[in-house]
Amino acid sequence: MTTRDVTIRVNGIERQATTEARRTLVDFLRDELGLTGTHAGCEHGICGACTVLVDGEPVRSCLMLAVQAAGASVETIEGLGTPAELSPLQKSFRDSHGFQCGFCTPGFVMTTLALLRENPDPTEDEIRHTLSGNICRCTGYQSIVDGVQRAARAGIGANAEVVR
Amino acid sequence: MTAPATVGSTRTVGSSTLRVEDLRILTGRGRYVDDVKLPGMLHAAFVRSPLPHARIVSVDVSAARALDGVAAVYTGADIAARTSGITPLIAPEGHKHEPIFALAFDKVRFVGDPVVIVVADSRYVAEDACELIDVEYEPLDAIATFEQALDPAGPKIFESLDSNILFEMDSSYGDVDEAFARADAVVRETFAQHRVAQMPMEGRGGIGDFNPETGDFVYHTGTQSPHTVKAYISEALGIPLKQTRAVNGDIGGAFGLKIACHREDIAVCAAAYWLGRPVKWIEDRNEHLQSSGQAREERMELEAAVTSDGTILAMRGELVLDQGAYPAVPFVGGGIVGMVAAMMPGPYALRGFAMKSKVVASNKCTYSAYRAPWAVETWARERMIDVITRRLGLDPSDVRLRNFAPNDGSASMLSGRTLLDNSCAQSLERVLELADYPRLRREQAAARAEGRCVGIGFATFLEAAPGPVNRAGGDERSVARVEPDGTLSIFTSQAPHGQGHETTLAQIASDEMGIAIRDVHVYHGDTAVGPYAMIGTGGSRAATMASGSVLHSTRQVKEKVLAIAGEMLEVGPQDLRIGDGYVYPAGVPSIRLSLAEVADRAYQSPDDLPTEIDTTLEAEANYDGGIGSWSDGTHLCHVEIDLETGQVRFLRYLVVEDCGRMINPAIVEGQIRGGVAQGIGEVLYEWSAYDEDANYLAGTFMDYLLPTASEIPTIEIEHLANEPNEEVFYRGVGEGGLLIAPAAITNAIEDALSPFGATVTEQYLPPAKILELAKIISS
Repeated sequence: MTTRDVTIRVNGIERQATTEARRTLVDFLRDELGLTGTHAGCEHGICGACTVLVDGEPVRSCLMLAVQAAGASVETIEGLGTPAELSPLQKSFRDSHGFQCGFCTPGFVMTTLALLRENPDPTEDEIRHTLSGNICRCTGYQSIVDGVQRAARAGIGANAEVVR
Repeated sequence: MTAPATVGSTRTVGSSTLRVEDLRILTGRGRYVDDVKLPGMLHAAFVRSPLPHARIVSVDVSAARALDGVAAVYTGADIAARTSGITPLIAPEGHKHEPIFALAFDKVRFVGDPVVIVVADSRYVAEDACELIDVEYEPLDAIATFEQALDPAGPKIFESLDSNILFEMDSSYGDVDEAFARADAVVRETFAQHRVAQMPMEGRGGIGDFNPETGDFVYHTGTQSPHTVKAYISEALGIPLKQTRAVNGDIGGAFGLKIACHREDIAVCAAAYWLGRPVKWIEDRNEHLQSSGQAREERMELEAAVTSDGTILAMRGELVLDQGAYPAVPFVGGGIVGMVAAMMPGPYALRGFAMKSKVVASNKCTYSAYRAPWAVETWARERMIDVITRRLGLDPSDVRLRNFAPNDGSASMLSGRTLLDNSCAQSLERVLELADYPRLRREQAAARAEGRCVGIGFATFLEAAPGPVNRAGGDERSVARVEPDGTLSIFTSQAPHGQGHETTLAQIASDEMGIAIRDVHVYHGDTAVGPYAMIGTGGSRAATMASGSVLHSTRQVKEKVLAIAGEMLEVGPQDLRIGDGYVYPAGVPSIRLSLAEVADRAYQSPDDLPTEIDTTLEAEANYDGGIGSWSDGTHLCHVEIDLETGQVRFLRYLVVEDCGRMINPAIVEGQIRGGVAQGIGEVLYEWSAYDEDANYLAGTFMDYLLPTASEIPTIEIEHLANEPNEEVFYRGVGEGGLLIAPAAITNAIEDALSPFGATVTEQYLPPAKILELAKIISS
């Protein structure tokens, strides 16, 4: 099996590992680094559950190999708040009763984080358009859109959501 | 003793209390089944049939067994030799089925039928090994349609069963023939419900973990029914029930699919049992799409006896349900058609109703429960009412209001249950008022004059959640325990997977006990700690049944707390008050004991209490649903169709519903909106498609289309709150949204297309079908 040594900055911390060349980034994050917050929902790039930010851009970590992320900076859900101290974005989603089963949730949160950094005050159409790359089967989306709007109103924008 | 009323400021029932679950799911700290890692764990993958129907000639696994990193390869023959077949427990008498084995060994019966399980060091290696396995098949003719399944000359899916017709049932209520003899007109139509799927965002999966030292077997999984899964694992593998345990973590959605014990569960557990090492299987999306479960393939030929003023005297019909190849365990198609016939008269005052139902087998994936499994009756009935309306030149609101049974207690559904305390007429009138229906009709006329294609549709439902007096699903159990620190633990037989029961049941318990919701912890989803229930979370049982049980178990433990506190304070329990985490004599809140102090006395120094005082700070309570009642409502939608693209746009979607008092309005509304979104998906996007040879065609999310935030509109909700004279006045809302949305949507689409003479008889309406109905393209 072909393996490679990779160094990836994950949530601000340099991580080094030897990984199979064919290993996807989502499997690498989950299995090698133990960051199980990122979920694999379809493994063919449609559902968006595995969305993480690579150098600030939302990426389907099921479609990217870990070796392709070598040298990059990756942000995952674990880089935001904790149960004891939600980040402002997570708090907005909670206040809106944004999610139900929670499986798609990390992908939506990371997609929203990228959106609000780029566009701190999106319209509802812009929000829905941006979120249309993520599938939620539980909510009908209204509570998620509401959570994004709540976060935007709270002024979570370019710099407020600092990855720890 | 009647417990004194709880006082204090901690009450949360009726408020949109923030969800307990969100703290972990929003931070990536949920624990879904794929997040479980056990020492020495192996990984499984399945070889599945590429053919819909074929005899297995040979299976060559030698190359796979030889691959580095492969721990074991088991074929269908291994499974057949070493496990027992399982059978559906919940099958009506006369329902035909064979014992079901985890892997196919004689024949494959649908595309995706598991044939071999490979266990290896990693999922990657397991899949590599699957590629090395050579299965030789002798193809057989397949059953893909109702006609083929009903044809006695067709190939048999199970040779031991003499037919592909597995179950037949005739239901008849009232005087059907007399009603048809009196009718001014008989309206006939055939309604086809296409095959769709539940499609939770987390697929199936599990980790079997056998401890050869103790003989204990644990299955970590994500199931709606842990006790049922445990029982089937025990039965199939021959592990004593007392040493078998099923454990859930968080579950990424289920929608009825995960109420069953799946064949793969048995295969994974068999591998773990035989190897004595943990074996994990996490389904991929392609496996999920083709082989996890599908739902809703039914056809109903229906006729209605009507008078010219729009009175519906009776309905009768014939129903066929395509169960696929293997029955779901434990809930088979025969149970579904029984529910369909029992619920179909709905809130209307029919004089007669009859249904001849058949369940057939086909070379397709297992038909399994999906949110409102009986939904075809509501769709066909509400569709038929609009068809009648149009044929008679009437208005659909008038026809419904004319036919609703009185709500004064005098009327029962023909199939038996009282219709008392339903709000169907009220919800229809209110939704028409909210929508300003006369104005909508005027605007529709104006839009049509401009060449626009606009439609208005509505439909009314009754959801038995739980429905009037019904103990068919068993009572609901819970245990409440005050812990040494004064917090309250609740053990429920629910197995929540998104419904927020850790929050809602904690709301019920904290209100009853008079403590903060943060001081309540709800335990669930582990057969070692949760009380028995055949169904965990399903059938809309939680809101009434589980809440009632938690209310009563908490109340009973509260009475024990008060008895102990009474001794400590030398005050009669009836003169105590409890609230804000303290017990105190009425009117003297300064002399108070915290729950922790009371618990400390019971646990640490019971010798300071009289011997007759019960110091077990724990209570179990059953709840039978009480008098029960209906959840119900009316949905209205207003659509515009683009006649160039065939796309349907929602101008407005309105819900007026009644689920009694809401425990947590935000959770209620989330359930309703989620159900409506699935209904929109079902009508406009989703189809578990098979071709005429039963080849499966929707193996990716580019084929099986799920609606996104761009397709689902804002859904406006207004609540009515008809509260029966019962202490537990909360009713379920899990199923109503999906139950009724397809009817409201298809009624609106037919209304929009009525200038073209369209009648919507198929529920699946993708753009091409819309353009065909508008006679813009030919079929």
